[in-house]
Amino acid sequence: MANTDDYAGAPENRLWRSVWFQRWLNRRLPPANAVVLNQSNIFILPTRQGIYFLVLLFFMVLAAINYQNSLIFGLAFLLLSFFMVSILHTFGNLSGLTVQAGTARAAFAGEDASFSVRLSRQGERHHEAIVLGWDPERLIGADLIEAEAAQTRLFVQSKRRGRLNPGRLLIQTHYPVGLFRAWSWVDLDMAAVIYPRPVYAADLPTAIGVNPGDESQQRNGVDDFYGFRDYQPGDSLRHVAWKSFARTGDLLVKEFSTSVDRQVWLDWELFPNLDRESRLSRLCYWVVTLGKSDDEYGLRLPGLEVEPDKGPEHQERLLRELALFELQPPVSAVKT
Amino acid sequence: MTGFQIPRNSLVWMLAAQIAVIAPHVPRLPVWVTSICVGCCFWRVMVYQGRWSYPGRWAKVVFVVAGLIGLGVGYKGRVYGLEPAVALLVIAFVFKLLEMQHKRDAYIVILLGYFVAITEFLFFQSIPYAFYMLFAVVLITAALIGLNQTQSHLQPLKTLKLAATLMVQSIPMMLVLFILFPRIAPLWTVPLESQAAKSGVTDRMSPGDIASLSLSPELAFKASFSGAIPAPGQLYWRGLVLENYDGKTWTRRANLTDSIWRNKQSKPVWAKDIERLGSTQSYSIILEPTRQNWLFSLATADLPANADIAMLDDYTLAYVHRRGVTAKFKYAVTSDLQYRLETELSDEVRQRNTSLPSDSNPRTRELVSAILALASNDADYVNRVLSYFADEKFAYTLQPPKLGDDDIDEFLFDSQRGFCEHYAGSFVFMMRAAGVPARVVLGYQGGEYNARANYIAVHQFDAHSWAEVWYEGRGWVRVDPTQMVSPERIQRGLESAVAEEDTFLANSPLSWLKYRQLLWLQDLRQQLGAIGHYWDNWVVGYNPRTQLEFLSTYFEDINASRLGLLMLTTFFVLLGIVALFVLRSRNTRLLTAVDQQYLRFCQLLGKQGLARQPGEGPWRYSERVSQARPDLAPAVTRVTQEYTRMNYDLGAPNNSKALKKAVSAFRIKALTTSV
Repeated sequence: MANTDDYAGAPENRLWRSVWFQRWLNRRLPPANAVVLNQSNIFILPTRQGIYFLVLLFFMVLAAINYQNSLIFGLAFLLLSFFMVSILHTFGNLSGLTVQAGTARAAFAGEDASFSVRLSRQGERHHEAIVLGWDPERLIGADLIEAEAAQTRLFVQSKRRGRLNPGRLLIQTHYPVGLFRAWSWVDLDMAAVIYPRPVYAADLPTAIGVNPGDESQQRNGVDDFYGFRDYQPGDSLRHVAWKSFARTGDLLVKEFSTSVDRQVWLDWELFPNLDRESRLSRLCYWVVTLGKSDDEYGLRLPGLEVEPDKGPEHQERLLRELALFELQPPVSAVKT
Repeated sequence: MTGFQIPRNSLVWMLAAQIAVIAPHVPRLPVWVTSICVGCCFWRVMVYQGRWSYPGRWAKVVFVVAGLIGLGVGYKGRVYGLEPAVALLVIAFVFKLLEMQHKRDAYIVILLGYFVAITEFLFFQSIPYAFYMLFAVVLITAALIGLNQTQSHLQPLKTLKLAATLMVQSIPMMLVLFILFPRIAPLWTVPLESQAAKSGVTDRMSPGDIASLSLSPELAFKASFSGAIPAPGQLYWRGLVLENYDGKTWTRRANLTDSIWRNKQSKPVWAKDIERLGSTQSYSIILEPTRQNWLFSLATADLPANADIAMLDDYTLAYVHRRGVTAKFKYAVTSDLQYRLETELSDEVRQRNTSLPSDSNPRTRELVSAILALASNDADYVNRVLSYFADEKFAYTLQPPKLGDDDIDEFLFDSQRGFCEHYAGSFVFMMRAAGVPARVVLGYQGGEYNARANYIAVHQFDAHSWAEVWYEGRGWVRVDPTQMVSPERIQRGLESAVAEEDTFLANSPLSWLKYRQLLWLQDLRQQLGAIGHYWDNWVVGYNPRTQLEFLSTYFEDINASRLGLLMLTTFFVLLGIVALFVLRSRNTRLLTAVDQQYLRFCQLLGKQGLARQPGEGPWRYSERVSQARPDLAPAVTRVTQEYTRMNYDLGAPNNSKALKKAVSAFRIKALTTSV
């Protein structure tokens, strides 16, 4: 349903974007994790088709007057009443829905951050053809006819590193007759961390930051056979013990150990001639690259030092530090 | 954007609506337009199934140009009429179907559909049509709803049901608007005129040209009398007066109606020439649309206080709008059945009403001379001519032979067979040949009485023509030569007059009127007629005047602003009621009686300052309350016991009476101890 036809005059509109209006909206619809849509936060106006419909009715009444035809009057009045009744139905299609924030998934700058939003209904009422999204070009449709709730995942393109607050979520419907558009902008207070855009940097100058470790054996090397363990997704197929698999049906992976144990320091000072964002991008590249290796890596930023370690949590922590470095107040996603 | 596919739900109903809306127009549309409709629907279905593609741009241009040329040729260039306009609308409607690639196009098709639906009422306004069009509108609305549903919604019947629901919810407000919306007179003259649909009595009469008169069973008008209904022999409904005669055809005076277009409602100066002598009848007429300007009344009518009606100098009533009567038209008339009309005859009028083309019908002129020689005065002459018709072997028939140049000679002496027009025409000829001023009157005679709704229904087969003769001192007097030949025609209607030749409604084998002798059918027909009469009176005939009459019976001092206020208030009150219905009925989850009782109990405790916390279970709540108010503890425990037993013990009898009793007991306890 990501159809531009569906989307008549939304936040591009000057009024909607004015500071005054945003302030008013913030007072009326403060950020909240879950919002129940009702008369205090649903807006409703005729669509372009609704205006055309009224023009049509005007001509019908004109014909009725000029032909002095009671039945044309009757039909025109029926359609006018229908127009008014459709307000109720369009409003009712949105009213009573609960919009709830789900999880926000991090992304690298320039990629799509994804946010999950849960719609659920109260009571018996069906909700059909609900459309929601942050980006008017990428609206997602949802029906709550049989289901009590629906989970949708919405994508927002990120631009810069930091905390991406997608802003107000547009949730709208034209159902049932398309003559009215009911909508709301709810601020679900969601934010996704946007990591710096990774930028390739030449090999790390090994002299700096590489510490010769102790000689104890470390797992996950490549040199000597160490033992078997269960296969996990992502393991190299080269290390699968195919013979054992053929015999038992269990996927096992041969583990090797390596005696080389590098500890790498990713240091702010590695890239002395670059500006802040460029340095962060290169550090980010290395965090991603080293995350795939077996090395332990640490991070030194002005005013921050994270001891070398490895594993997904560690990597995520470093990416997060890079993402939010010197950016404490969250940045808004409102396009400039 | 060619990727847009109209949702199936929408397409199904769109095609259905299209068929429903166009079907009633089919008899009026040229055959090729109907074929285009069928072809376009078929093409659209093929497109939906992916077998054919949409027509290309040039194909569309060719279609549109061909359609326009077809209309121009088909209607012989007279494209400003009502039928060509409807045909154009229909063609646009079906062509748009083949161009429906965007959602916007689909909306246009639907809006056009609504408009085509109203044009149907320009032609027919009966109850069945009204309900049929309501059904068609529901279909169009279903298409509109389908358009706004997601592609995955595949239950067309649910869509139709929702459309019907929306319409039913709109009906109360529609009624308010219908009754209270200020009706006003037409803003301008509608340029659209219909060519084909003129019906009823025409403004010319040439009996010699007609070999077989086919009379239709359609209703011409209905008349409701406030008093007793005059005898059938008195019911001469005057419509037009034909004064000009060219030897073949009787016509109206050419400039007769000129004055009324210019000067719509001023009582003409010559109206003083009516002397009213009593037998006053007040009645109202609901005229079916004729698209003509003549109105019917009993002689001699007074000019009604109605801006749409003027009186011509032949004392007939005329509708002042050029387009003619396009919808059922209701008007009230007062007539005096005894009168003296135009006792002073000006030379101009006398000359006009005695003139004949010279040299025609020599045998008739001889007969006239012979009778005139015997007659003592004008009245005697008239009587002798009438006796001539009575004595000679004239026969009343709807299948007269065709007549040649001297048609009156041939009729009077050779064929001697004809219907009212032959008799009236030859009678007036004989009068004028003798120098007696006389003219032909066209209208209806008689009518069928409906006892259920107390009105007279006049059908097209009641059309009649008679003569008016001017006597010195008495003015214009009605003379009906047909009565001399076939008294049944006047007293009992056409059916009995032609009973022997079996030509009554010979062309309409299925007309109910043919089977009037079947009593139960007759009864049913009268009943339906009565319902239709009320419909015509109160719905179709609801116009600025009847609205004012109706509203002033309920409101003493009615004016536009009060009416508007009343309309808006009732409209929005009703909308509010519908809103409650729409938004509440589906919003609240139905509580079981048990839950309702327990909630009442919680509310009562809430008033005592012991509201139940969110997430607090019944037993925990009960314990907390019991600690805070030991005096209430037993009653609270009992309610909780009953409630949990009914909710969780599957073996418990499923009725809420015990719980209700417990809650009531608690309430009394709470009320008595809290004070």
